[in-house]
Amino acid sequence: MAEQPETYITDEVRSYIGRQSEPVTAWDAVEPGAVRRFIQAIMDDDPIYWDPEAARARGFERPVAPPLYPGFTFRRPPGTPDPLDRVKENPDYDGIGAGGGTGLPPIPNLPVRTLNGGVEAEFFALARHGDRITAQSRYVDIYEREGRSGKMVFIVTETTYTNQDGQVLAKVRNTTIRR
Amino acid sequence: MVATQKQQLYFEDVKVGDEVTPLTKGPMSPMHLMRWSAAIENWHRIHYDERFAKEHDKLPERLVNGSWKQHVMVQMMKDWLGPEGWLWKISFQFRGMDLVWDTVTAWGRVTKTYVKEGLGFVECEIGMRNQRGEEGTPGTAVGVLPLRGGRKVPYPFVPPSE
Repeated sequence: MAEQPETYITDEVRSYIGRQSEPVTAWDAVEPGAVRRFIQAIMDDDPIYWDPEAARARGFERPVAPPLYPGFTFRRPPGTPDPLDRVKENPDYDGIGAGGGTGLPPIPNLPVRTLNGGVEAEFFALARHGDRITAQSRYVDIYEREGRSGKMVFIVTETTYTNQDGQVLAKVRNTTIRR
Repeated sequence: MVATQKQQLYFEDVKVGDEVTPLTKGPMSPMHLMRWSAAIENWHRIHYDERFAKEHDKLPERLVNGSWKQHVMVQMMKDWLGPEGWLWKISFQFRGMDLVWDTVTAWGRVTKTYVKEGLGFVECEIGMRNQRGEEGTPGTAVGVLPLRGGRKVPYPFVPPSE
């Protein structure tokens, strides 16, 4: 195992707590085809996600997307560097960070292996087909725990998702574990 | 058409200790994991690259994505609360690992009920277990239900004032 420092939570790392990104608007709108692939992958055929009539009957102007969908509209825009190019330098590149990202600056000098630690979400409205989603994120907390295989760093971010009308759709806290 | 219409659940129908209708998915084959990764354009290799998962990340197998499991938890709550209900809050931790070919079941239990501003609030303990009986995703949820003859749950949802 690689040698670990006494703590990963240096003053520099701590200085990231509270940092907020600029609002980022997804390059993609909430596209019916993307919603279809998404709901087929989660195996939820609720007609409000694809049938205009069923959506209207439920009080939505048009079909909507699942509650946690907004976070998944942030794909890499065209015309930006291809993150998969990293395999040219490092065949062990883990594939993380190939999406659009949160707009938050990466935190330096943390362990490389990454796990999804958990989610805390609050929902106010659903994204509709055609909506444009804007996200703004901030680092809420960064802390360390001793795990079975060494130190683990927990990074908590909170992202607020808004549609083009300024309606807040959801607030989502994600915990990322680096180990 | 898919028949998802069922009778609306009302606040009066729910009491502490009641079970949320569970939701099972799986077995989660490599194709299911690939389909999810492709749908969200997430290329994290621990979900589809067996050698990478085992040798580089020292995992027992390719992992079922936490990013996928969260939607199963949300779907269970949404379907149970029904078309007139609203899933307000949900939280869970990914503590356990579910592996490729596992079958997972999301479950929930009502822990608290109360009425506020004419709406019914239902707090639940939720989780997800696999076919080995391993619990890996402990969490909580808060749903909002209409009262019989009461006002509709507002949409967009407006949380009650504290």
